[in-house]
Amino acid sequence: MPRRTRPRAQDQRRQRHKDVLHDQGRRANDFRCVGCRLDVSVDAPGTAHRNHCPQCLASLHVDRRIPGDRASECRGRMEALAVFTRPDGEWMIVHQCLSCDELSSNRIAGDDNALALVRLALRPLQDTDRASRTLINL
Amino acid sequence: MSNTSNTLKINTFTCAWCGLTATKSTTDGALRDHCPSCLHSQHVTDQVEGGPSECHGRMSPIAIAVLRTGDWMLVHRCVRCDELTSNPVCADDNQLILMRMAVRPLAQPPFPLEALGSL
Repeated sequence: MPRRTRPRAQDQRRQRHKDVLHDQGRRANDFRCVGCRLDVSVDAPGTAHRNHCPQCLASLHVDRRIPGDRASECRGRMEALAVFTRPDGEWMIVHQCLSCDELSSNRIAGDDNALALVRLALRPLQDTDRASRTLINL
Repeated sequence: MSNTSNTLKINTFTCAWCGLTATKSTTDGALRDHCPSCLHSQHVTDQVEGGPSECHGRMSPIAIAVLRTGDWMLVHRCVRCDELTSNPVCADDNQLILMRMAVRPLAQPPFPLEALGSL
C-alpha cells in the first residue's frame, strides 16, 4: 500500500524495538482464512488437527506428504472438493489446491458450517440429469 | 508370423481387487485407470512430486467430486501410503457403487439434518 503520511523527519525518534514474541506460545498456530478472512483458532471442538476455516471450509497448502510437516512450497489456496465418510461414520473433507491440484483430506470439526458441509455433500446430486441417468442405469 | 498386424492388439489389465480383466481404453477412446466393476485402481503415478510412483498399492474409491462443468470425478486413496488422486468417471463404470458413494455421507450425517429445514 502506498504511504499516505509524510515521511518522518530525521530528528524524530524511531519506533522502539518490540520484544514481544507473537509467533510463539499458545496462539502460535492460529490462522486467518484465505477465503473469508475469518480469524480461526486451532482449538476446535471434536478435532485436534484443524486445518480449514469453519465458515467457508477453505484451507492453505502448507503440508507435503505428512500432515503437519509444513514442508510444501506451494502455499496455494485449497478449496473443499468433496465429502466422504470414513468406515466409522466420520465425515472427511477432501481439499484440492487451486494452484497445483494436489489433494488432501481432513476430518470435519464440531463447529464447521453445517450448511456448507451439506451443500458440499449434495453436490453430486445437484445436477439432476447426471443423478437420474445414474439411477436409471442401475 | 507374417500376419501379426492382423492380430487383435488390446491392452488389458487385471484388477488388483476383484480380478476382472479390463481393457485399458474405453469405448469412447478415453484411457481407463480404474476397474469398471469395483472402481479400484493402482497407485502408479506420484501426485506430490510427479512422475511414476514406487508404491504400486491398491487404491480404493472414497468420494465423488464434481467439476464446475458438472462432470463427476472419482477420488481414490492408496491403502498403502494414503495418497489421494482424482480421475474422471468413465461411462461404463459401476453406477451402483458411484451412487452409493454419492449418497453415503447423507446416510450418516454428523448433525441432525432437520435443523437445516428451518433455514
